[in-house]
Amino acid sequence: MISMKLDKIDNTILETLKEDGRTSLREIARKLKVSPDTISNRFERLKKERIIIDSTVVIDPSKIGYSFITRFSIKVKPAYSTQILDKIIKIPSIIVASKIVGGYDMVAISVVKNFKHLCKLRDAILEMPHVEKVEIGMWIETMEICSHYFLI
Amino acid sequence: MSDKMMDQIDVKILRMLQQDARTPFKVIAEQCNVSTDTIKNRFNSLKKKGIIRHSTIVIDPKKIGLGNIVLFGIRAVERYSDSVINMIKKIPGICVVTRAIGEYDIEAILILKDIEHIGTTKEIIEDDPQVKSVNVDIFVDKPLLCPKNFEFE
Repeated sequence: MISMKLDKIDNTILETLKEDGRTSLREIARKLKVSPDTISNRFERLKKERIIIDSTVVIDPSKIGYSFITRFSIKVKPAYSTQILDKIIKIPSIIVASKIVGGYDMVAISVVKNFKHLCKLRDAILEMPHVEKVEIGMWIETMEICSHYFLI
Repeated sequence: MSDKMMDQIDVKILRMLQQDARTPFKVIAEQCNVSTDTIKNRFNSLKKKGIIRHSTIVIDPKKIGLGNIVLFGIRAVERYSDSVINMIKKIPGICVVTRAIGEYDIEAILILKDIEHIGTTKEIIEDDPQVKSVNVDIFVDKPLLCPKNFEFE
């Protein structure tokens, strides 16, 4: 399952970049007293192995006009789930989409501006062919505790 | 709140850094036809205003031995029970916990090692006297994460 063993250098790179994704590799090299090339090779390897999927800035949705987060649970005809998932993640404002096992077949999490926007999002999902049912959970006072694996 | 807090340059900075947080300011400056210092100042100001919370890397939890993303839907005896939220906040692997309106009173996302770990975590939550019921949804395959999907006005 775990395809590569991470040593102290890899872990330091991950920890440092989790805290600040813009830290220069040179700075990490200095901290670890190794050459910048070593860090650069390791960084590339972590990316190649897809341990580091991406780097991004985390934006506060409330500062750019969004008021809350909503979780949509979606029931679909199973044969179409991959196809529907691909369509859902392309809807603007949807930030996470996944197949799930449980009462529903997939879940999507979205940042939402207002109730009108919420209805629009729900309708966009409901109107997709082979979507059977959508259930909504509106999130309030959301506390994000750890954003490194799961960005909300 | 949102209007006039940002202009075209700010939005461009956000867009480019969302795609790749490590984009050099010089590259953004060239795209915007302004100086690197301008971008640097704008970036710092976006951080100061709290629009950019921080820059980070996204790690695949599976690759570092953390297996499953699990969504818990919880119904509490007392709606919006603070004690339940505080209890959940302390469970290792917690990513997000929130009050909710809908089927559940509280929803939480945790990253858990394996099926046993999901079971024990569910029991911990169920054992709280304030908790009426716990629903578990386990993410399968790789979830599609798209934090870049924000719309800017």
